[in-house]
Amino acid sequence: MNREPLLKRKTAISYKTEEKTVLRGYNLSDLAEEGYTFCDALFVLFQERLPTENEEKMLEYETAEFLEHSMSPSAAGAIAVISGRPHLPAAIAGAVMTFGSAHGPGAAHGYMMHRYIERAREEGKSLEEMGKILVDEYLDAGLPVMGLGQPQHTDGDPRAEPTHIKHEQLGVSGVYLELQRSIEKHFNERRKKEGKSFVAVNMIGAGNTALAELGFSPNAAWCIGCVCRGFSCAAHALYSMKKGHAWAASKREPMVQMLDLSMIKYIGPEDRPVPSQEERQEYAKKQKEEGEYKKWAL
Amino acid sequence: MGTIGNLDDPRLCYDYENREHGTVEPDTKRARFQWVSEVAYKNVHRIISRGYDTTELVEQGYSLADIIFIDFQSRIPLIEEEKMLNYVMILALDDGLSSPAAISRIISSSQTLLTQAAGASILAFGHAYGAFEAFGKMLDEYLAMSEEQGKTTEEIAELLVKEHLNDEFLGVSSLMLKDPAAKRMFARAEKLGVAGKYIAFTREIIKAAQKISEEPVDLDMLGAMGATMMDLGFSSEATWAILAVTRAFAGGAHFCEEMEREPFERFGQRLTPKGLYDGPEDRSVPSLAERKKFAAAEQYKTPEEWKRGSEKKQKMKGTGWAIVEDIADPRTMKK
Repeated sequence: MNREPLLKRKTAISYKTEEKTVLRGYNLSDLAEEGYTFCDALFVLFQERLPTENEEKMLEYETAEFLEHSMSPSAAGAIAVISGRPHLPAAIAGAVMTFGSAHGPGAAHGYMMHRYIERAREEGKSLEEMGKILVDEYLDAGLPVMGLGQPQHTDGDPRAEPTHIKHEQLGVSGVYLELQRSIEKHFNERRKKEGKSFVAVNMIGAGNTALAELGFSPNAAWCIGCVCRGFSCAAHALYSMKKGHAWAASKREPMVQMLDLSMIKYIGPEDRPVPSQEERQEYAKKQKEEGEYKKWAL
Repeated sequence: MGTIGNLDDPRLCYDYENREHGTVEPDTKRARFQWVSEVAYKNVHRIISRGYDTTELVEQGYSLADIIFIDFQSRIPLIEEEKMLNYVMILALDDGLSSPAAISRIISSSQTLLTQAAGASILAFGHAYGAFEAFGKMLDEYLAMSEEQGKTTEEIAELLVKEHLNDEFLGVSSLMLKDPAAKRMFARAEKLGVAGKYIAFTREIIKAAQKISEEPVDLDMLGAMGATMMDLGFSSEATWAILAVTRAFAGGAHFCEEMEREPFERFGQRLTPKGLYDGPEDRSVPSLAERKKFAAAEQYKTPEEWKRGSEKKQKMKGTGWAIVEDIADPRTMKK
C-alpha cells in the first residue's frame, strides 16, 4: 500500500507517521485524550496555540450560533444539488462553495478591518475616528459596508448583537470590536442624517469580528464560518434525500415542487424558427449586424 | 417553415410541429412551493433548529458539538456524548497530506476563493477514502442479518470478514498497527459509557479479520470513528457528512499554506514527460479527404461482437471501459 503523501510539500501544519498524527506539534490523540474540544483544536490548526478558556468559549458560541441558518443560499444549494441524488459530499461541497462576496463574505470583511486598523496606526487616528472614515469612504464610493444589514432579518440579525455582547462579556474584545462598533455607529448616524432607517449589524459584522479578535486571519475566520455551515447543510441535504423526492418536480406531491415546470418564468427572446444550414450564414451575418443579441448576451 | 430534420418522422409518438410554445401556467390547484423542512426554520427575528432557538442555545452555553447533535438527531446529547463527539472530531480534523489536503492545495494553486478549496476537499470522501457511509451500511446490514438469522455477532462478523476482508471500508487494516489512536478512541468511548452495539460488533470484526488475514491487521481510524459515531446515534450518512466537513477545516489551512508558500499555477504550465506516456505511438494526422481510409465504424451488431469490442476497449486506459461500478440510488437505501 502506497503511503507516500499525495503532494510533495513542505508543511508547517501537520505530519503523520505510522505511530501518530501530529498537528502543529501536538499529537491529535493526546489532545483528544486530555479533553480538549474541537474548538480548541481549531486554534491549534490555524494559530499554532491552545486558547484560553474564554477564547474557546467564544469560538464555541460563534460556531454553534452560525452552524444552522435554515434557508440561506448554502442550504438551498445543498438541497438543489442533492435533488439529482449524487453522493452526499457533493451537496455539502456545493453548499460550502456558495459562500462568496455576498453570502457570508467573512474574508472580505476581515481584510477591510485590517486595512483601516493599519491606517489608524499609520495616520495616528483613533479607531473611533477610523470607523467614520471607513463609512464615509465606502458610502461616498457607492460601496456596501460589509457586516451590516441582512436581507431576511430586516430588524437585525437575532444572532449578531448577542454575539457582540458575549464578545465583551468574555473579555476577549480589542481593536476589531472597537472598530466594528464605530462603523455601526457612524453608518447609522449618516443614514439618520439622510433620513434613512436604522440598519443593524449582521453575523459577518459580529461573528467575523469575534473570530478576528480571537486571532484568526481573514481566510481562517472565513473557513471556520463557512465550513461550520456545512454541518447544517448536510442535515438539510440528508432530510431532502431521505424524506423528499428526487428531482423535486413530482406532480404527485400535494405541493408544487421546487423544479415544477410552472416555477419557470421566461423573459428572454420570443420563440423563433431555427434557420436551416443553407440559410445559416446569411441569417447569422444579419443577426450580428443588427446587434439585438447584445441585449441578451451574458 | 418546412420539415426540420426528422421531426416529422412517423415513429415519433407526437405531432412535433403543433406542440405548444411558452411556459407552463402557474399551478393554482396545488399549494404553492415552500421550502419544507424538519430540520430548521427562521423568521425575521429567530432561527430555530429542531424546535430550539439557536441564540437561546448558545446563550445557555451549548457547544458546537451539541448543535450538531440537535441538527442531525433532534436531541440534546448527554454530556458524555458531547465529549465523545469532540474527541472524534479532533481526530478527524487532520490526516496529513492526504486527499482532502491535496485537493484543497491544488485548487488553491489556481488562485481561487478559500470556500472553493475547502468545499472541494469534502469531495474526497467516497467509498474508499473516508468511507464512513459504506462502513456504517455494512455494519447495519450484517447486524440486521444476525437478528434475522438468529446468529451470534461473532458468527456474522466471520461472514462479514470473509466477504469484505480486502475492502477499503472494512475499518480493520494494517494502517494503524503502530499508532494507538484508534484503539484509544474505543477505550475512551467505553470509559465515557457511550460505547454500544457498533463498537462491540467492530471488536468482533477485528477478531475475525485477525483470524484469517495473512498480514497483521487491527482497528483503523475509519473503523474507530465510524463505529463510535454510530454508537453516538449518527446514521452512516450523517457520520460521513460530519467527518467530511470536520476535515474541511484543515482543508482551509492547507489552502492558506499553499497560497503562502507556493507560486500560483498557470494554464499550460505543466509538462507531461513522454516517459510517463504509454498510449499509441506518435502518428500523422490524415487529411480530411483521407478520413475514409483511416476511420472505421465501431458499432456492434451482435452481443458477441459487443463483447469482443468491449474487451478490446478495456485495454485502452482512460476510456472508462475497464470500470465496473454500482452507482447506487440513495432512494433504494435501507432506512
